[in-house]
Amino acid sequence: MPFLRRFAAFFRRNRETRALREEMALHVELRARKLRLSGLAPDDAGFAARRQFGNAAVYQDQISAIWGWTMWERFLQDLRHGIRTLMKAPAFAAITVLTLALGLGINTAIFSAVNAVMLRPLPYPQPDRLVSLWEENIHPDDRRFSSSGAPAGTLGGSGRTTVAPANLVDYRACDAFEGLAAYDSSPVNLTGMGTPQRIAGESVTWNYFSVLGVPPAEGRTFLPEEDRPGANPVVIVSHQFWQQRLGGAPDALDRTILLDGKPYRIVGILPAGFESPQKLGLAETTEVYLTASYSNELLANRGDHDVNGLARLKPGVSIASAQDSLTAISASLARQYPTTNRNFRAEIASLRDDLNGIVSHSLWALLGASGLIVLIACVNVANLLMMRAAGRRHESSVRMALGSGRLPLVRQLMTESLVIAAAGCLAGIGAGRLLMFGLTAIAPAGIPRIDTAGMDWRVFGVAAALALVTGLIFGMAPAWQASQANPVDALKTAARGTSGKSQARWRTALTIAEVSLSLVLLVAAGLLLRSFSTLMGVKLGFQTDRVIAMNINLPELRYADGPARFQFFQKLEDRVRALPGVVGVATANRMPMRGGWSSGIFIDGDMGNEFEPDFQAVTPGYFQTLGIPLLRGRLLTGQDTDKSVPVAVVNQAFAHQLLHDRDPVGHTLDRGTPAPRITIVGVVNDIRRKGKEGQIKPEVYLNAAQTALYPVRLADFAVRSSVDPHSLVNAISREVWAIDKDQPVTNVRTMDEIIDEAVARRRFQTLLLIIFAGVAVALAIVGIYGVLGYSVSQRIGELGIRVALGAPPRAILALVLRQAGTLIAAGIAMGIVGAYGLTRFLQDLLFQVKTTDWRAYAGAVALLAIVAVIAALVPARRGARVDPVVALRQE
Amino acid sequence: MLILKTLARNKAMHGFEIAEFILETSNGVLQVEEGSLYPALQRMLLKNWLVGDWGKTDENRRARYYSLTAEGRKQLVRELDRYARVSQAIAAILQPV
Repeated sequence: MPFLRRFAAFFRRNRETRALREEMALHVELRARKLRLSGLAPDDAGFAARRQFGNAAVYQDQISAIWGWTMWERFLQDLRHGIRTLMKAPAFAAITVLTLALGLGINTAIFSAVNAVMLRPLPYPQPDRLVSLWEENIHPDDRRFSSSGAPAGTLGGSGRTTVAPANLVDYRACDAFEGLAAYDSSPVNLTGMGTPQRIAGESVTWNYFSVLGVPPAEGRTFLPEEDRPGANPVVIVSHQFWQQRLGGAPDALDRTILLDGKPYRIVGILPAGFESPQKLGLAETTEVYLTASYSNELLANRGDHDVNGLARLKPGVSIASAQDSLTAISASLARQYPTTNRNFRAEIASLRDDLNGIVSHSLWALLGASGLIVLIACVNVANLLMMRAAGRRHESSVRMALGSGRLPLVRQLMTESLVIAAAGCLAGIGAGRLLMFGLTAIAPAGIPRIDTAGMDWRVFGVAAALALVTGLIFGMAPAWQASQANPVDALKTAARGTSGKSQARWRTALTIAEVSLSLVLLVAAGLLLRSFSTLMGVKLGFQTDRVIAMNINLPELRYADGPARFQFFQKLEDRVRALPGVVGVATANRMPMRGGWSSGIFIDGDMGNEFEPDFQAVTPGYFQTLGIPLLRGRLLTGQDTDKSVPVAVVNQAFAHQLLHDRDPVGHTLDRGTPAPRITIVGVVNDIRRKGKEGQIKPEVYLNAAQTALYPVRLADFAVRSSVDPHSLVNAISREVWAIDKDQPVTNVRTMDEIIDEAVARRRFQTLLLIIFAGVAVALAIVGIYGVLGYSVSQRIGELGIRVALGAPPRAILALVLRQAGTLIAAGIAMGIVGAYGLTRFLQDLLFQVKTTDWRAYAGAVALLAIVAVIAALVPARRGARVDPVVALRQE
Repeated sequence: MLILKTLARNKAMHGFEIAEFILETSNGVLQVEEGSLYPALQRMLLKNWLVGDWGKTDENRRARYYSLTAEGRKQLVRELDRYARVSQAIAAILQPV
């Protein structure tokens, strides 16, 4: 490889040069000796030998060129010169490098997040073949089904639901799948090992681990016969569980642990680092995996959507063709079971995309925004470089006049730009690292794998490539400028102290670009801000302050049925109500924002129309504790018992949507079972159970005392206090343990905290975009200020003449501001067009705000115009204060 | 070609020896200019036809001794072929009729 030899030789070139010199000297000496032997005088022989040999230095140069050193040497020379000239202008170097570091740093940080979350494959073997499976209700208005379980993914339409286990058998027949498993979170109480704790668990079908492709590190996976009702209870535990709760005991296999009070035998321990798809990148980790063991009852009801599907495609099968064959299966199911399956279709998507979903939208948007910042930084640096090049015009003209070619000049300017880019890249990677720590620290929970964001070769590669590209972009303008220079003209104009027209045109264009780019970012930030404030303005319909909610999940083994659980909570309510500072207590199956339960019902015995409102089982204190006002009739009371007439309270949406605004009081409900009908006794205000982004659904509140026959578990407890609710947590826990010392109290949060967490992601992306827009505007201000300041200092002579001829300072001010105004107006006009084109990609991130929201545009334009004019005012005032005598003397 | 042939005939030689050898062998007709010799040697080093090893002359002076590589031998064969063809062609043209 001549190339490699050339390259290697380059680094030994000094040694090679010395060697050559020695070789040639020897040659001359030997020749001289020969001549002497033939009879010449020693001195003459030496001369003759040297004469005959010729110019050794020229040969050296030739040889240097043969090895290709010349090119490198020139590059090194340019590099050294570049570094030296930059060192001589430390302020200029610092500003350009900092500007670049800011732009590249933001990019590096965002890209490393994108890399961690979206580009790196999931931590399972052959992750591209893993798909997530769900069922989609193609007529979401028809709510003739019940669903529970939290969907694990984010893709799909509003009709997305979990999968009915009964349908899984049919989907397994799909020939595109190598295997289809199902999973669902199933937290359990762990007892018999110190303080009772509630730990994250998952109930999975027996083939779950083989579909993921991860066998247990110790022991075995589940057997098909263990995944049936009534089978021996077995559990597979995570590596973390084994290490932390069992102390890494070598005999952990076959040990028995108590989950929800029931003994489970450990049959497998998972490898270290394994995490279930549901919990990837979350703080919480799944510690135990139980068999799903679907009941025969569940497997008979195709309308009961409960679990998340996870499939592995056969090698070489595409998602699209798998989807086609699934759609065919769904269609045949719809024909076979019209009542339950008519409106449902199984859908799949790549597991990674499904897990990332909306997060990837916002990350792409942020990446786009940070790309704009790099562009702005580039424009700024290009601007600075051009001003500098203008300052060095004299230097380059002299060099050209002395015979320097254009190419070496351009090459030298480009090398200088690349030096700046390289320094900016290094500083940017450093800044990116810092920013990334900040980013992951303030990132809301629920972004899969953001915690693993780090610098890897891909991040470095992107940063370096970006730096190179930016270096070329911002280096091009001044280099091109220099190459256009005509030494005669340049020397003449340099003497006059003004710069060429084309220079000014370039800088004007760059400034306009800068203004328009920052306007795009400002509009984007404005849209997100509008969206966020709209969201914050949404009324929840209940009072969240000074309410604390917690989860008290009573295990079935000790609390076999509804009445047993109800009794526990009755006792707890009485005890807690007596605590000082407590204003109200409530028990429910779920408090708002914490999930719920829905069920099909018929109104007034009309079996032709089934509705599916949300159901809540609550104690009478619920409405007062959450501050939900009564609108008509009465609330639930302690007098409603399992002996008296079953009663319910409904919300306004129920009256509006299901009863067409008739007064609900007195109407009856039943679930199509022989149980006594429920009479509606009151109407309460609508609340947004699912948070600010959720829809208001018809609600039925049942009295917890009357729900023994319903498949509902009381599990949430809430307290309203007159003091800081956090101060009551210990006292409440003590009351719980006074009743049952083995009962864990978990998920303790104030309502305000819960709501805060729910909007955390939006707040995060809004905040980031506002920061980005701020950076962009700051860079734009620097740009405008720089360009105008330079232009004023170039025109100082002209301005001096105007003043001398009697122009008042106001006229000078107006003159400069007019120039600035043109720039700003052009930039804003282009920015509006750009924003219109680019912000449409933000639509998915916006809540009830259109991307064409005029307020966001108006706000952005006004803000940018004001700061830009302020930035222009400083140089304009300097121009207006020009002293004609001083100015003219400079000429 | 001449340098390659010289090195093929002899063991390793240094620059002066090569020049002298060619001069003597050609009975003083072909004089290799130093200005072409050293760049040519370097070019051949780069193409890996030669390798240079430092050694001592008879008078115990440091000198770089050049020798042929396998690649260089192949090149020599190629060049001799070409030379043979060209000289035959020239000879054919110059043949007295």
